[in-house]
Amino acid sequence: MSVEAQTIVRGQRDVVMGLTPDASMELLQILVDNIKEYAILTLDTRGYVTTWTPTAKRLKGYDADEVMGKHFSIFYPKEEVENGKCERELEMAAREGRLEDESWRVRKDGTRFWASVTLTALRDAKGNLKGFGKITRDLSEKKQAEERLRQQGRDIMEMATVPVVQVWEGILLVPLIGMLDSARTQQLMERLLQKLTETASPVALLDITGVPTIDTQTAQHLIETIKAVRYIGAEVVLTGVRPVIAQTLVHLGVDLSGATTRSSLAAGLRVAFSLMNMHVGASNGNA
Amino acid sequence: MVSEPISVIKVRNVLLVSMPADPDDSTVAALQDRTLDAMSKHDVRGLVLDLSKVEILDSYFARTVAETAQMVGLMGGETIIAGMRPSVAITATELGVTLGKTRTAMTVENALDLAGQAERKVKARR
Amino acid sequence: MNEGSQGEVKIQTEADIAVARRAVRDVASKIGFGVTEIARIVTAASELGRNVHKYAGSGVMRWNALSNGTSSGLELRFEDQGPGIADVNEALREGHTTGGGLGMGLPGAKRLMDEMEIASEVGKGTTVTVRKWRRR
Repeated sequence: MSVEAQTIVRGQRDVVMGLTPDASMELLQILVDNIKEYAILTLDTRGYVTTWTPTAKRLKGYDADEVMGKHFSIFYPKEEVENGKCERELEMAAREGRLEDESWRVRKDGTRFWASVTLTALRDAKGNLKGFGKITRDLSEKKQAEERLRQQGRDIMEMATVPVVQVWEGILLVPLIGMLDSARTQQLMERLLQKLTETASPVALLDITGVPTIDTQTAQHLIETIKAVRYIGAEVVLTGVRPVIAQTLVHLGVDLSGATTRSSLAAGLRVAFSLMNMHVGASNGNA
Repeated sequence: MVSEPISVIKVRNVLLVSMPADPDDSTVAALQDRTLDAMSKHDVRGLVLDLSKVEILDSYFARTVAETAQMVGLMGGETIIAGMRPSVAITATELGVTLGKTRTAMTVENALDLAGQAERKVKARR
Repeated sequence: MNEGSQGEVKIQTEADIAVARRAVRDVASKIGFGVTEIARIVTAASELGRNVHKYAGSGVMRWNALSNGTSSGLELRFEDQGPGIADVNEALREGHTTGGGLGMGLPGAKRLMDEMEIASEVGKGTTVTVRKWRRR
């Protein structure tokens, strides 16, 4: 074992459980080698690798002979190294004694993993800095589980903000509520088109009764949605076009790509049914 | 680089042309050449362009489709685009391309039905 | 194909545009972008790669996986030693066309990506950098 690790044992408790120093070291070695979750390694004061363990190899991919004497910045993503992250970490660990961080690390094969890292300053009996101990834990699984949860949350949120309801075989209804910004339009297009192809529905009723005002941007977003729906072979009927909305659209000079529009949802449904009868599962319009 | 072939077959009086997932430029150019070649050889009512495998539609691909549809139109036929994927439809809209005077259908089957229906006036749309 | 967090594709022939697309799709997929996001990124790459081929004859696309602590992303940089762009603002205006009707390269790519930077000098060349971040 290296000088730095020996110092840990002597510095804190001279022996472990009444064992001789040599036996203590052997025990420590066994622990370090066998804690499978944590990759333990040591660096010198400038950040060059001085010890390597089997778990470190398992986590980061390097053999001992490939990594001994190399700078620990090889474990970091390029842009972080360029930002001086490694120097900062050594500096802080030296100053505070210990640094904890959660961020990306890079394996030998270039793949990234999310890691929890503890960097500890190792000092001799006189207090001189001899190097650093680094313990890395792969949080990929935890991160993936978190990501899955977040995605579920997003899906629920998306359903709440862009609800797509099947009102009849072949007819989907999207009751839009609130304003249509870029992000919501993207959500709308993705969700609506997905559902249309999944259900093989020829008609989408886009109801804007709940949209308070139409500005140029919102109108543009509606036009895009109509175009995208047409591209996949379905058709949009825009409903809930109230008098004030109709006026705004005319004043803005907006051309809704020839989409059929109605003031009420009921009227829109009638159009949808007639479209269904006319076209057997296909759309009639310019792409 | 080997590009996947375009499939061109005649089905029920229309030409069915299927494009691969990510055709390089020479394959896209071949779409136009092979369509026109086939149309001159066979008596077909029009073109059904099957894009169901296509993952990317850039401006060159879009322009080629629009031009091909225009040529087919000049020869008296119509073009129906079938099976465009949502991701492609959204990207095409955001990119701002136009696919010219074409109709669309969700599936090749629908497109063939549409092509087979009695000729009806297509409302002029921009 | 390139492994790791960065790479490049030389754009010298028309066929290289497709090579660039494939490389970008691979990386974007590895980073974890969704299907529609990948379509946006690859299409933007195709437009910008096509610009390089069309206006400069040849150039290079460099890609970089990004992470800013809360999100991961992808950066693409298209460099050429071509004629350069005299008026960048003009070139970015929607609908700007310079011959061939394929003028949607820059405005289109800008629309599809989250960030875009253009550095260009007439007679020297152009570098277009675009970035996209995964939605949280």
